[in-house]
Amino acid sequence: MIYEADPVTMQVIRYGLEAVADDMGYNLMRMGRTTIVKEIMDINCAVLDAEGGILAQAHLCPLMMFSLPTTAANMLERIARFEEGDVIICNDPYMGGQHLLDVQFFSPVFVEGELVAFVANIAHQLDMGGAVPGGVAGGLTEIYQEGLRIPFVKLYRGGREDTQIVDFISRNIRFPEKTIEDFRAQAATTVVGVRRVQELVRKYGLGVFRDCTRMLLDYSENRVRRFLGDLPDGDYTGRDRLDDDGRTQDPVDIQVNVRIRGEEMSVDFEGSSPQTAGNVNSPWACTQGGVFYTMVGIIDPDMPLNSGSFRPIHVTSREGLVTNPLPPAGVTARSQTMTKIVEAMLKAMSEVVPDRVVAGSHGQACTNSFSGVDPETGKRFSYIEIQGGGAGARPTKDGPDGQDLHLGRFMNTPVEAAELENPVRIECYEFIQDSGGAGKFRGGLSLRRDIRFLADVTWARYSDRQKFRPQGLFGGREGSVGSLILNPGTPSETQCRSKGVDEIHAGDLLSIRLPGSGGYGSPEERPVKRVAWDVRNGKVSVRSAREDYQVVVREDGTVDQEATVALRGI
Amino acid sequence: MRIGIDVGGTFTDVVMVDERTGAFHYTKTPTTHHDLAEGVLKGLGEILHIGGATMDDVNYLIHGTTIGTNAIVEGKGARVGLITTEGFEDVLEIRRVARPKEAAFDFWADNPQPLVPRYLRKGVRERVGAKGEVVVSLDEGSVREATAAFRREGVEAVVVALLFSFLNGDHERRVAEVCEQELPGIPVTLSSEICPEFREYERTCTALMNGYLGPVIARYMDRLIERLEEDYGRVTLHIMQSNGGTMTAEVAKSHAAQLINSGPAGGAIATAFVSRLTGNRMAVGADMGGTTFDISIIDENLPKTTTWGGVTNYPIKLPMVDLKTIGAGGGSIAWVDEGGVLNVGPESAGSDPGPACYGWGGHRPTVSDANLALGRLNPGYFLGGKLPLYPEKAQEAIRKHVADPMGLSVEEAAAGILRIVNANMAKGISGNSVERGYDLREFALVTMGGAAALHAADIARELKMARVIVPPMSGNFSAVGFVVADVQHDYVRTLAKKQNEIDPAELLQAFREMEEEGLRQLEQESVSPEEAEIVWSADLRYEGQSWELNTPIQRIQGAFSAEHVARIAESFHDLHQQVYSYSEPNEVVEFVNLRVRVKGLNSKLSFKGEARDPFLLEEGWKFKRDVYFKDQGWLNIPVYEREELLVGTRIQGPCIIEETISTALVPPGHTGAIDMYRNIVIELEGEA
Repeated sequence: MIYEADPVTMQVIRYGLEAVADDMGYNLMRMGRTTIVKEIMDINCAVLDAEGGILAQAHLCPLMMFSLPTTAANMLERIARFEEGDVIICNDPYMGGQHLLDVQFFSPVFVEGELVAFVANIAHQLDMGGAVPGGVAGGLTEIYQEGLRIPFVKLYRGGREDTQIVDFISRNIRFPEKTIEDFRAQAATTVVGVRRVQELVRKYGLGVFRDCTRMLLDYSENRVRRFLGDLPDGDYTGRDRLDDDGRTQDPVDIQVNVRIRGEEMSVDFEGSSPQTAGNVNSPWACTQGGVFYTMVGIIDPDMPLNSGSFRPIHVTSREGLVTNPLPPAGVTARSQTMTKIVEAMLKAMSEVVPDRVVAGSHGQACTNSFSGVDPETGKRFSYIEIQGGGAGARPTKDGPDGQDLHLGRFMNTPVEAAELENPVRIECYEFIQDSGGAGKFRGGLSLRRDIRFLADVTWARYSDRQKFRPQGLFGGREGSVGSLILNPGTPSETQCRSKGVDEIHAGDLLSIRLPGSGGYGSPEERPVKRVAWDVRNGKVSVRSAREDYQVVVREDGTVDQEATVALRGI
Repeated sequence: MRIGIDVGGTFTDVVMVDERTGAFHYTKTPTTHHDLAEGVLKGLGEILHIGGATMDDVNYLIHGTTIGTNAIVEGKGARVGLITTEGFEDVLEIRRVARPKEAAFDFWADNPQPLVPRYLRKGVRERVGAKGEVVVSLDEGSVREATAAFRREGVEAVVVALLFSFLNGDHERRVAEVCEQELPGIPVTLSSEICPEFREYERTCTALMNGYLGPVIARYMDRLIERLEEDYGRVTLHIMQSNGGTMTAEVAKSHAAQLINSGPAGGAIATAFVSRLTGNRMAVGADMGGTTFDISIIDENLPKTTTWGGVTNYPIKLPMVDLKTIGAGGGSIAWVDEGGVLNVGPESAGSDPGPACYGWGGHRPTVSDANLALGRLNPGYFLGGKLPLYPEKAQEAIRKHVADPMGLSVEEAAAGILRIVNANMAKGISGNSVERGYDLREFALVTMGGAAALHAADIARELKMARVIVPPMSGNFSAVGFVVADVQHDYVRTLAKKQNEIDPAELLQAFREMEEEGLRQLEQESVSPEEAEIVWSADLRYEGQSWELNTPIQRIQGAFSAEHVARIAESFHDLHQQVYSYSEPNEVVEFVNLRVRVKGLNSKLSFKGEARDPFLLEEGWKFKRDVYFKDQGWLNIPVYEREELLVGTRIQGPCIIEETISTALVPPGHTGAIDMYRNIVIELEGEA
């Protein structure tokens, strides 16, 4: 490929595009009205080329990384004409979306009358209608139950909001005032992005801009090619399982088959379960996102994230599998499946690049929505609670204790923020001892949050890993499973399923206990000092130290050297 | 006379100003890490000698230090025991659960370790609810269990951070009383006093910083004051705070968290000072060091502050000068990646091994090497000639690591290195300003540090900024900021009420109470109420948002009415429109925090000004030197000595203006001028 532009200018333009994407993300985060956007940052922003390929994206929620280009490609087939000031929205999982709660916004960028790019963002909304407030319900069986499905519509034409569409949407969702505000924030963010991209194009000229962006995509492609080229050709398989689909008790299998040949790789999902009755189905953009996220982490987390990077990686899935469902399958709980795709990919790649993968993490997205009427104010409320868990151990160090999930860079809701806005009282928020799989490098600990309800609430949720443990690698042990327990330690103690919708009464306590994570390498190789430090800090029990690590720690936290030597046989 | 002393990592900078004449003196002495006081005393002695003054002439001595930041980075703070609500001992370590920023794809990224390990974090039985009501009363027995454990473990400071203490601090205060009985002499920090705001993790972390640094700062202050008194008798020492104001050393001992980043805050204050002096209300401060590029924003002559700052990923929810740091400096290493593309930084050659051109053993090309290879730096005049530079080593490093792999000439490669580092710095400035709704075309770029003035004109042109200002003494700039800063204290109260629920009288009372606290504090620092300036503001948001906008409030003498409250809400709508390009005037506004800033105004200082009609200088250069420009290639351009240029001088670019600690480049198409305060002002031709 011959370019007129030079690689230095390309790099300068790349910085410019990344700045636009990051600044849009920052802007949206600060403007957002609802917890999910503002504290949890379940959003992403990107600059796309005129063909819908990613040129740059913000370093926000990787879960969403593949929706924007996939949706853009579908949009280009369906919208004949774009005009300056248009804002097109869509939330259809079968058009490249995530679940219906994630609404995507696109604006064309024109320079001297010519369409040169798009700016786009995606954000998780508080409610998009459907059977359950907040929408994050497991166990639904059709997308029609999951909320309002918006095809490609122009919410703004020539910079003017279409009030009919706003009205139409408002009547189909709960809390329209908040959601419509977030819509406007998303639209305002695209306006900022459009202006910035226009400035950039005008500065360098359209010819140089196009040449440089082409070059940037090729460059990213070549980096990935070079990496893959250095790997031995071979076929590798990784598997993981979901507890169930939220309807039946049957596990859902995820299998990735990785083939590395020369400078390319392909991934398919043969061996995975067919699409499920319950809504853990992973729409196509989500499935691809799971694969690409893993490969970016393995290859180089700092590489430019654009469509070129993904050219040498061919992801296919037969239609009708849980990894590429057909309508009208429900998809809301797809993050449970996406995280398993990551786990299966890591397992497969551990055979090829053992020093670049991590052991199994909590591998799910424990998402809860509690909605009801505040007895004091008489107002409806909807409280979203997403929690992290243990993060897998790494080839050179322990897994982080209490972290967000693969694919999601989330922030928790502060205890005080939750209680200021909702009739709840949180009674504990802490690490769970022994939840990290033992290993030379220990898996990260998981978390527990106990919530007392001061009002009756409808509890919708999806989560996973109550049955199948996070995997250990190379001798590292498995991590703990999670649980959802209503009124623990009382006669009415109830173990709740990972997905579903239930009523909780005022006065009840829900204990959310997240899954842990796997260890890396044999626990006997863990230095005695590190084991003793974990015991001293309550992260590992005296019993686990002895049984899993063969280290004898006394009640006062000191190590019984003799007994340890005897146990370890060294 | 006023003296400002900035203890940096390598040098201790000292500045002395004669308040009557505006004349400045400055010096630099190596920082003495084994005993920082030694370097301070040496610098002090030198500056008095240079200025021909004695300590009797000095009426104001101010000091800034990175000792707080260093203690955090190196993990060398006090051994702290943390008391939390039972069940929430891990909040400090769970943080906000998120991976570090910018690490969304990075399996290897970690947040920093908690400054208090789990076994020194003790829960006590108690609970305050979301309305400030006591849900579970304090079990003092559980407090005594905690203090007993702390005594066994030999903690040096105690921090107390209980849930909802920002609404009701009774339990925290009672815990403090118990601690004082059980652990006499051990300092206790309460989160409700240091940072009475919601969000338990951030509040805990902020309070912890105070406890963690308190003993370190107190030891340091005591030692320094003792040494000063040995040599000079009784001395009142002022300390620079991260909020851009000052306080006395005595007060600083119990406000240690406010000293973090105090050095760079001085740089921002100095930028504000220069911007005011030169009539540029809006400015960006750019400090380019060896490893980093620090950016500050000056809005209407005041440095922008934030309450979302922090240090090395620990949040500190105190108002502090908003500094954004990116990994780009003179020592940033240029490298070609596997894809054949040139990158610069974030890895830095630092001072060991240093850039290739230093000849200290560095072989990889840096930004400084690129500047030297293109003739922008004078190999015989770096630090006034104290550090000889080796152009051939720079060229060789660039050839080997950049030019050859990319198939470019050394000049093209070096110019590429500069373009990329400039683009990176421009991206940093743009991100910091655009996200706040600023239009950079109104801004001046004020440089500090030795290297920034070589890059500033190119960055300013890239961002369409109005002009570049290269102030004198830019190598001692933070210390200049110290001597012009005001005494300043910030107070906050969480109100957490919607506009329609607010009792105007309650609002006014909160402001008045904070004011009184501030005035009492100023009085302790010998500032009378007449000399005080008081600023009110509130952190407001729309219902449901959780990021507030700090909105200025007109301070009034009489009573507050509902109309006043409505007017405050209106200013918030306007501000929201400016920052986010939309607002919702019919929406409910929430008043989250109320803030009061009290300042004891330092008498206004000025550089010595000199009036002279502008004239175009067409000769008088020291010599000419070949300098490479991307579009023009090699040009033989004049090099001037800054000290020799008279006020009023205008010079057509391209040219170079050198001084011992800094080099300014006036590129083709620009003019350089010396203004009445001896600043170099660089503008695009035709725009002046």
